[in-house]
Amino acid sequence: MEMIGHGGKPLVERVIADKTEAKKKIAGLKTMPASRQMATECISIAYGFFSPLEGFMKRADVDAVCKKMELADGTLWSIPIVFDISDQEIAEYGIKEGESILLTYDDNPLAIFEIEEIFTYPKDEMAFDVYGTKEEKHPGVARTYAYKDKFLGGKITLVNEPKIREPFTPYFLTPRQHRMKFQEMGWQRIVAHQTRNVPHSGHEWLMKHAYIAAHGELPVEQMEVIGRAISGILVNCIVGEKRAGDYIDEAIVLAQDGLKKYGYFREDIHMTTMTFWDMRYAGPKEAVHHSIIRANLGLTHHMFGRDHAGVGTYYESYEAHRLLMSIPREKLFITPIFVLEWVYCPHCGEVTCIGLCGHWNEHQKFSGTKIRSILIDEVKPTRLIFRPEVFDIVMDAAKKYGFGSPFVGPEYLAKAKPAFSIEPL
Amino acid sequence: MAETYPINIWINEERFKELQAAGLADLLKEELAGMKVLAVPCTAEERDKVLKLFPMAKFDAATTKSIELLPKYVKDKIYEMVVKRKKLNVMTEFCQLFERAGDAFWNQEIA
Repeated sequence: MEMIGHGGKPLVERVIADKTEAKKKIAGLKTMPASRQMATECISIAYGFFSPLEGFMKRADVDAVCKKMELADGTLWSIPIVFDISDQEIAEYGIKEGESILLTYDDNPLAIFEIEEIFTYPKDEMAFDVYGTKEEKHPGVARTYAYKDKFLGGKITLVNEPKIREPFTPYFLTPRQHRMKFQEMGWQRIVAHQTRNVPHSGHEWLMKHAYIAAHGELPVEQMEVIGRAISGILVNCIVGEKRAGDYIDEAIVLAQDGLKKYGYFREDIHMTTMTFWDMRYAGPKEAVHHSIIRANLGLTHHMFGRDHAGVGTYYESYEAHRLLMSIPREKLFITPIFVLEWVYCPHCGEVTCIGLCGHWNEHQKFSGTKIRSILIDEVKPTRLIFRPEVFDIVMDAAKKYGFGSPFVGPEYLAKAKPAFSIEPL
Repeated sequence: MAETYPINIWINEERFKELQAAGLADLLKEELAGMKVLAVPCTAEERDKVLKLFPMAKFDAATTKSIELLPKYVKDKIYEMVVKRKKLNVMTEFCQLFERAGDAFWNQEIA
């Protein structure tokens, strides 16, 4: 069955699942190791998370993305997907335009890379166009400056599918698998909740707000029966490069799923999955990128809150909303849902939306910093703020996977295993 | 009055009872739906000292203006000192004691 992805184009699937065929295709190819980031992006390209991209971008695409926020063919796109390489590596691995090479990861075959173009692109221009700054303290800019001096553009075909380790195994679904799951659930509308956090009840209410908005004018009567929901929430956790102080991925995925496991969301309206992606912290541009990924997963709606994917003070709180609003509807293949902050109001005695509650002077904000501080102190928060079962999951994940902490520290950075491995073919 | 920058120590039931028994419960503030927090103030000088002595800590300049990411064992020791001294302004002494004793400080009882 053909599936349509971002840009109204067929969902890209460039995977050779048959091992015998894969072995034949790679026989005699020159090999080159791929970094973790490049391996991750090969996987995402091949499964169609980045549809309609079939490979790493060529110069024309990179230029169009930087200058016009679109691919060379006019499809909306906000962040360059590039494969960087040094002159020394080009010489060492004998890379030539027009030839194919085999990318390896963990010393095992990963993907065939059809090298269509070797090119350069000014990194400072790329950084400024994407991130709106050239300051190296912006993590996305630092990543751009760290690219090697040349880029390879061309198609990617995965020849060896990744093995996802526990506890992530049940949470990794390809775009096709996402869509099949939605069909099985009977969901007509699905709203994405993008996250890199363990959920407090402010997040929970953002999801509820977005769900109700997405469900909109659809009938509700049949939802009086569990199992007959026709719309759903997909919590799609971003799993990728971590920085010290981030929540560990295991805690994020398991805690998000805990909301369903312990009944805070019905099992027929809530699902947690993960997508491999190294955050660029590009704020509004990253919001557009997230909308593209989620359109490819088959979602109909995407929630965007305050400070979406931002860092420091580089972007205004609702800049992502404004950028998304400026994009013609026919270019964005998902409906954005813009949400305001939810806070605790002691006057109301409940969690409420700042756009609804009039007790402005009394609001207690869900600061991520405060929640982290509470978790560090291992104090179980009140259930109005943080669900007790979710707290237990986070603490359990800290012990099992985080070397005692739910936050990324030096030991986690040095010793935690990547979420996937590539086994011998 | 000069601005201060707190180290927030969140208080569980057990510690709340301990503070009540010591007559120190009025040092607590309520935040986030009734959660109790001991906000130990630091002057700008104390803040800089804490950040230097504990490089894993961060000053959240953007939102809470508080010192964050101090490990639990450090915050536990600060709590112990607040209880012993029966006051919140302990950070100069805390830093001095740690500088003097080094890591042995964590195993010493506050006199």
